[in-house]
Parts: sequence; structure tokens; C-alpha cells
Amino acid sequence: MPNVSRILKIGAIVLLAVAVLAFPGVAPNPYILSAGVLVLNYAVLSTSWNFVGGFTGYISLGHGALAGLGAYGTGLLVAKGGLPPFLALFLSAAIVAALAVPIGFAALRVRGASFVIVSISLVLILLLVFQSWASVTGGSRGLVVPRPFDLSRPEHHRVFYYLFAALLAAALVAWWLIDRSRFGLGLKSIREDEDKAEALGTATFTYKLIVFVVSAAFTALAGGMYALWFGDLDPVFQFSILTGSYLVLMALLGGVRQLFGPVAGAIIVGVALEYFKVEYGDTPLHLVATGLLLALVVLFMPDGILPAVGDLLKRFDRSQRSSIREVSAAELREQRLKEQAGTETGGKGTGDDGTGRTAMTEAGGTTR
Amino acid sequence: MPSGALLFQSVILGLLLGGLYALLASGLTLYFGIMRVVMIAHSAFLILAAYLAWYLHESVGLDPLLSMIGTVPLFFAAGVGLQRALLTRLRPATLTMMSVLLTFAIALLIEGLLGYAFTGTQRRINLGYSSAGLELFGARIAVVKLIAFGLAAVALTTLYLLLKRTKFGWALRATIQHRDAARLLGIDTDRVAGFGFGIGLATAAIGGTALSLDTTIYPSLHWHWIGPLMAIIVVGGLGSVPGAAIAAMILGLAQSLLQIPLGTTWAQTVFYVALFATLAFRPQGFFGGRLAQRF
Repeated sequence: MPNVSRILKIGAIVLLAVAVLAFPGVAPNPYILSAGVLVLNYAVLSTSWNFVGGFTGYISLGHGALAGLGAYGTGLLVAKGGLPPFLALFLSAAIVAALAVPIGFAALRVRGASFVIVSISLVLILLLVFQSWASVTGGSRGLVVPRPFDLSRPEHHRVFYYLFAALLAAALVAWWLIDRSRFGLGLKSIREDEDKAEALGTATFTYKLIVFVVSAAFTALAGGMYALWFGDLDPVFQFSILTGSYLVLMALLGGVRQLFGPVAGAIIVGVALEYFKVEYGDTPLHLVATGLLLALVVLFMPDGILPAVGDLLKRFDRSQRSSIREVSAAELREQRLKEQAGTETGGKGTGDDGTGRTAMTEAGGTTR
Repeated sequence: MPSGALLFQSVILGLLLGGLYALLASGLTLYFGIMRVVMIAHSAFLILAAYLAWYLHESVGLDPLLSMIGTVPLFFAAGVGLQRALLTRLRPATLTMMSVLLTFAIALLIEGLLGYAFTGTQRRINLGYSSAGLELFGARIAVVKLIAFGLAAVALTTLYLLLKRTKFGWALRATIQHRDAARLLGIDTDRVAGFGFGIGLATAAIGGTALSLDTTIYPSLHWHWIGPLMAIIVVGGLGSVPGAAIAAMILGLAQSLLQIPLGTTWAQTVFYVALFATLAFRPQGFFGGRLAQRF
């Protein structure tokens, strides 16, 4: 018999999928729908980020740049190369994945700090290049990407909403598959202790590089899809260090070890960002808000919201008690006396209470 | 081929710029040495100091150099507070990554608050001696650039003497080299680490004042500084102060010379090229010691 938590989990996933798919039907106007597309875009991006951040614990602040590369790659292939839009999308993702190999090679050969440094530098250097190289990229005037479908505005949003949802599903499935695989186990061992992982024979560098390339490919797909949807690219927004930090914030807030953590974070932060834009316009206050939220998450909730909620639920669930319990000395004494009495009479009646409780704690321990 | 005078001027300007880079990179190196922290907010504090100098000059007519009397102790205290109150709260296992995010968040906060308080308008201090210059073998050097370099040189020398000649400096270097051993010798490493951060941030205060003398400032300017600075500390070998200083001078010079054929924007890419080349071919940096090899 499948256990209750598994049924609950599957039920929640089905519910989430239904909610996501039904959203365009209930969205009151095209603006809300376009905000939904944006949130889904963020969800794909931060799930893609989580391939590196969640499995290996290496935090990249430069995934905004990979998305920007995907977007510009797609845009340039369509606008200047005349390729069909979706061929351009996949071609550009392949190019970005190929580019991610040397980038990852430089960034991942050494531990920790230099990865972050490279990721930030990537954003800064690409911003510089795409702004200055105006003859190809359009520079600060931007790059207009022709629309792939001849549709009205709301219909256009609706189509891309479903396309983004499909991409999100693909990214989630890929994450889930890696999570369950031997490869994923190796990646997680890098996160927990890279020295020990290496000592146990994990090819840490190769593992990190592979997962970085996978992550880059998904990020580029999301970026390219954004280019086809939005139709107008500006280096300042595509290669913004802020985009990268939003992705980190979303994933951390949701929980990097959870499949749906980045999605949850994207929904919270994405909605908050849109709300901020509507309420306060383009003031520097969104920087303050982002900074504050990021600092609070890092300081007080580095495991994210989903685990925090999970812990809270567990507290109400009496069948899954944690292994640490409060037991008074008197209770302990009584228990011990009972056990003694049980062994003296030939171990027949060890006491229902005693066995029952150990079984319970064991169950609690394994399901946790 | 550019003329000799132009070349000479570029070399001088490059060295002057390199001096400022060296001072700022030494702060970053200190943080990294003490706690393996890549302090993204370093350049945000730099711009904050420049803004404070500008604001004091604008509102009460104070010479930017005098504003250091206030900003240096203030930044020192902020650095100590940052280390003691925030960074030590992070889990040791994920300290390097989480501290990047935390300092990144602080950088965003500073940028946002500066933008909110002073708007995004570009600001510049106009001093009586702003336009004064020196002629030297056909090269023209602005006095303010010389003052900025002088400030950086004095601060770096002080830092060097502090680290090499004083008891506190020994304690700080011992803490960087081996924290546990330092503690066994009776050094209060937590305290020393806090002070080390304070000194690092004080270099940002001095650098910011020097920057405000001859640069147009705006809130998001710090992104233009953090990239080159991070490249410098990697090329120099993470954690090595002399390495960072040498790398800063070389890269500053390279940037200045490349500006002649490439223009200012493309010349900036030299830092990133150097960063990628270093990581790909010599990840421990060119002047770094034992410490860098572990990261």
C-alpha cells in the first residue's frame, strides 16, 4: 500500500499542474496573463539555476548572462540569420551549452570562490561586449526579434504561457531524474564534502562541468523563449547582474534541495516584483527590497521556505515524531522498570508500549 | 603608432590607476585571507565613501580629503560590525558561498539607498584644483590624480607597516595563516578577524575619497569596479596582498595602454581576459602562495 505522504505529494503536484494550466482561463486581462508568463519564465530560469546551485552547492550569480546569451543567440539567428524561430531557439541553446564548456572549465577547476567570481565577471563582460558591439547586437538601441506567430496580443501571451509551462515541466523532469540517479548522488556528495567525494572516486570536476552545461542549456532555452515572446532585447536588461540575483533569491527562498523549491520561490518573488513595479514604478527601492530579502533569507532561512513549511507540518503530525523527544525522568524510569519486568518474565511481554514506540521512532527516522 | 608623449602619458596614468586598484584589492585580499569571504560589497562601500565626500563637499564645502577624518573610522566600525554581527552567523560549511550572497545583498542595499537618497544623477566634485595639471616630459598629469595616487600609496604603506611591524599585524597574519594555531598561542582570533575586516573596509573609505576627486560618480558605478578588483585578486593569487598589488599595477597599466588602440570600453575587457586565462592555466594565481592553492 502506498503511504499517505506519497499520495499527498502526488496530489499536490497534480493540483499545482492543474492550477498552472488553468491560469490563462481565469486571468482577468492580458496584463495579468503576461505577468504569469514572466513568472513562469522565472520559474524555468531558477529551476535551471538549481541544477548547479541545488545539487553541487556552487552558487552562480551569472545565470542571467547565460539567459541573455540564449536570448541574443535566438534573436540574432532569427533576425539576422533568417532561421525559423524554434530551430533558432534550440540552435542557440546548443551554442550556449558549447560555450558553457570553456566557461565551466575556467570556473570549476578550483573550489568555491573563483566560481562566483567568474559568474559575476561573465555578466559584466557580456554587458560590455553586447553594448559596445553595436553593429551586430544593435547595442543600446536594442534588438527587435520578429514574432514567431501571427496572433493577437492576448493569444500570443496564451501560447507562450503554455510553451513556458512545457519548458518548466521538462526542466523539472530533468532535475527529478538527476536527483534520483547515481550522477545526482555524486553531485550531492560534492555539495556535502567535495574532498571526501573526490577521495571516494567521484569525478568531481567532470560531474560539475556536466551539470553546469545542462544548467546552461536549460537557462539558454528559457532566455531564447523569452526573446521570442517579448520580441525586444536590450543588453542592460539581458545582461543584468540583478536577473542573476533574482534567480538565486528565488531558489534559496523556495529551497534549493526541493524539486519545487525554485518554482515556489519564483512565484513569490516574481509576483512581488510585478507588484513592486506597479506600485512604486522604477525607483531604486526594488534594489533595497531585493537586497533586504536576500540578506534575510541567507541569514535566517538558508534552507528555504518549503523545508520550513514541511517542518511546521511535521510538528502537527503526531505519527512522525522526530527522534529527539522530551521525556521526563519519571517516565523514563517507569519505562525502564517495565522493560526489566518484561525480560525477567522471559521476554514474552516486552510491553506493547516499548516495542510500539521504538517502531514508531524508526518509521519516523526513515521517512524523514 | 602612437606618439611617445601619448604613450608616456598612458604609462603614467596606468600606474596612477594601478595604485588605486592596489589599495582596493588589498582590502578584498584581507577579507579573503581572514574568512575566505569574497566581499562583493567592497566596491559599493567605495562608492558610498565617494558619495559621502561629495555630499559633505556640496553641503558644507568640506574638502574631500578632510571627509576621511569621518569616513575612515566610520567604515572601520562598519567593517567590524559586519564581520561580528553578520558574517559569523553564517554556517561554516557554506560560508564562502553564503557570504558572497550576503555581501551581494549589502551591495544592492547600498546601491538602492544611494539611488533613493541622491537619485541616479551623475555627480562630480568641483574643486579649485580640479583642472590643475603638471607637465612632465610632454605628458600632462592632473594634480587630483596625483593626490589620489599619493593617498593610495600612503594607505598601502601604512597597511604594510601595520601588518609587518606591529603586534596586531602579527596577530592578524597569524590568524590568516592558521586560525586554530593562532588561537592556541593566545590570540583572540575573533577580535582580530573583526579588526581585519574593519581595516579592509577602511581602505574602501580612503579609496572612495580618492575616487571622488577626479571621477564622475553614480550609484551603479560599483559594478564597474568590482569586476576588475575581483580579477586582480584572482590573478594575484587569492589571499596574497603583495600579489594583488603587483597584479593591480600590471593590469592597471595594461588597461591604460590598451585604451590607445581599443578605446575605453574594450580596454576594460583586459581584466576579464586575464581572469579567465589565469583560472584556465594557473588557477592558484601568479603570485599567490600556499593559501590560494586550496581554493
